[in-house]
Amino acid sequence: MNDSVRKSIRERHLELADKLSSCFSEKDCEVISQFDEVTLIVPSEHLIEVAETLRDGEEFEFRELIDLCGVDYSDYGLSEWETTTASGTGFGRGVDPEKTSGNSQPSRFASVYHLLSMEKNIRMRVRVYLDDEQPMVESVTGIWSGADWFERESFDLYGILYNGHSDLRRILTDYGFMGHPFRKDFPLEGHVELRYDPEQKRVIYEPVTIEPRTLVPRVIREDNRYLEPDSEQQDTPDA
Amino acid sequence: MPEIRNYTLNFGPQHPAAHGVLRLVLEMDGEVIERADPHIGLLHRATEKLAESKPYLQSVPYMDRLDYMSMMCNEHAYVRAIEKLVGTKVPVRAQYIRTMFDEITRILNHLLWLGTHALDVGAMTMFLYCFREREDLMDCYEAVTGARLHAAYYRPGGVYRDLPDQMPNHEYNEFRSKADIDRMNEVRQGSLLDFISAFTDRFPGKVDEYETLLTDNRIWKQRTVGIGVVSPERAQQLGFTGPMIRGSGFAWDLRKKQTYAAYDQVEFDIPVGQNGDCYDRYLVRIEELRQSNRIVKQCVEWLRANPGPVIAEDHKIAAPSRADVRGDMESLIHHFKLFTEGFCPPAGEVYTAVEAPKGEFGCYVISDGANKPYRLKLRAPGFAHLSAMNEMVEGHMLADVVAIIGTMDIVFGEIDR
Amino acid sequence: MKALRDYVKSLFLLELMKGLGLTGRYLFKKKFTVQYPEEKAPISSRFRGVHALRRYPNGEERCIACKLCEATCPALAITIEAEPRDDGSRRTTRYDIDLFKCIFCGYCQEACPVDAIVETRIYEYSFENRQEAVLTKEKLLAIGDKCEAQLAADISAQADYR
Repeated sequence: MNDSVRKSIRERHLELADKLSSCFSEKDCEVISQFDEVTLIVPSEHLIEVAETLRDGEEFEFRELIDLCGVDYSDYGLSEWETTTASGTGFGRGVDPEKTSGNSQPSRFASVYHLLSMEKNIRMRVRVYLDDEQPMVESVTGIWSGADWFERESFDLYGILYNGHSDLRRILTDYGFMGHPFRKDFPLEGHVELRYDPEQKRVIYEPVTIEPRTLVPRVIREDNRYLEPDSEQQDTPDA
Repeated sequence: MPEIRNYTLNFGPQHPAAHGVLRLVLEMDGEVIERADPHIGLLHRATEKLAESKPYLQSVPYMDRLDYMSMMCNEHAYVRAIEKLVGTKVPVRAQYIRTMFDEITRILNHLLWLGTHALDVGAMTMFLYCFREREDLMDCYEAVTGARLHAAYYRPGGVYRDLPDQMPNHEYNEFRSKADIDRMNEVRQGSLLDFISAFTDRFPGKVDEYETLLTDNRIWKQRTVGIGVVSPERAQQLGFTGPMIRGSGFAWDLRKKQTYAAYDQVEFDIPVGQNGDCYDRYLVRIEELRQSNRIVKQCVEWLRANPGPVIAEDHKIAAPSRADVRGDMESLIHHFKLFTEGFCPPAGEVYTAVEAPKGEFGCYVISDGANKPYRLKLRAPGFAHLSAMNEMVEGHMLADVVAIIGTMDIVFGEIDR
Repeated sequence: MKALRDYVKSLFLLELMKGLGLTGRYLFKKKFTVQYPEEKAPISSRFRGVHALRRYPNGEERCIACKLCEATCPALAITIEAEPRDDGSRRTTRYDIDLFKCIFCGYCQEACPVDAIVETRIYEYSFENRQEAVLTKEKLLAIGDKCEAQLAADISAQADYR
């Protein structure tokens, strides 16, 4: 991709951002432009009106919903950089805790929509922040039929309820699965494992036996050539 | 008078025509389908959640295992997302290698699709012929990456290694005459590029053979013409991409419209269908085979003429070369940093998409400034296509379900993720 | 006219005959199939098969327990424990690769700064019980000893590319 093409992409996205902010500013929407992409943050009560305008409005024509997903922001920006004791969630983040600003997100859950306009050849993203306790948002299946399974997936993995969805069942997880596995408080190993029990002649569920294994990246400084007898300093997290 | 009731038929998950682990619950009125309810998730491995616990680099091999028929295209979407976040420039040679291997992947995928789709519909020979050509391309994969399927070849900032100058040869053995083995080794004498170039020369003839067997064949036409018709408006509404929306008449192809890698440097055409039925989608994909072959040919020409680096020089992102690691302290530190802690892109979110053989494979990454993605969402084309299953099979016969599953080009690795 | 031509074509099953002719010709052509396991398909020097630990020519293990492979393994298949030896050199006391977890991505050999852990050309291996799937240090070194000539040749062949 040459520079002139890239520049025109940037200009077109800025143009779209201007249009969006002039069109939706009275609905408390916020427009963010970053990495040549446009994000529109919509309050959940206005989602349906905004989505309809985005689909049918002559200057938008976002007729295709490319992707819909849930996000759990509860751990966003929180540092977990420890080397002597393993962190609970896997690898360390590799960032300096003093530089991170902490969780700057306004709420725990969000539903993110990626839209594509084939006519205008442009993409945009819509994000709706949802309630922490009862994440619920209006379903967009009436506007883009393709949202059907995407909403089911988001409900399955994050427990976000889509009001007005005709068939909000679990989709990816097992029949009778408990919990919402992609939430940040759901352990990576899960809660149950299953195996075939030859005595009962059926598949049974048991509490998970996998130990959470953590490999915190670290620089080994325990080499005996450098180890002083009274040294307390081991595993300093620099490199 | 006995009561007439619809009955429910369970199709799969262990059905050879279900292309993996699709479980379809079909409500039937006689042999006509009233409602289809696909149950998916039997191959769900939570790749996205796994990726949240690993540094960026380590998720690359997991991308191969999503759509395991178009491995490198998945990797491409993922590494492009990282490159966009970090702002790395990829060397031109790496761009061409990526373009070439994306197209080789497309041929691989379409050949498998063609073989299995035809097999489902009843043409056994196609399967054998398609796998014969796949074998040559698998050899290319193996020669360049060391694995026939799960390549793990693309890296943020380029590709892992340059193309090899030698192809492995068949060894002499007592089961085959020496002349026979020499004949098999004929195309393997030169470099990988020579091997690929020889393939591109003979491949159009093979596509002609496939067409002789299928395109005019009355059984094939009876099974595919007018089956699973999707209008252009519905295709857009349902989120179709790739050959599925092109079959319905939209000339939409990310390689042309939102170009990436070296696709703006090569010439190719986008085939478009008219009726949006299974037969048109078949024709679109056959033509894509020829167009991909054309792109590969152009890339081979360019790659022969232009040696150069294949991975970015920025050692914060891309590993330094083995020789540098041995000889240079700074490179060694970069090497250690990169393979333990990885790199930390700036906070933000990006969405990148590539035209995978099945449609738009997208990768949405949210970074909070850490060395692992905060959230990774993979947009699998097959997921949107399969969600339209109910609409596409309604009113068709049971045997057409198989044709429609075939035409969607379903691979469960990407649908369940 | 076209309708008539189509009718004749259709009546004499022309397109089916053409297809039959194509497959018929292949009946007399040379076979493409490779008679595995008697003969094997060619594999390149980049092939990623089962792992091996290498030694220096003097018999000393290459692995220095830097644990880069352990840290970079996406599947967490490698477990390493290390202790300094009596002569002060740092070596592994335990080096396990769980082949059930391993995804053969090749990151371990890519990360290894001393070419100790490598992936061999061996792709035919099997286990009789689940315990055997964990390759211990002894097994890995034994594989390395067995394939050393091939491994050294492959690594030197790839030296220009890495």
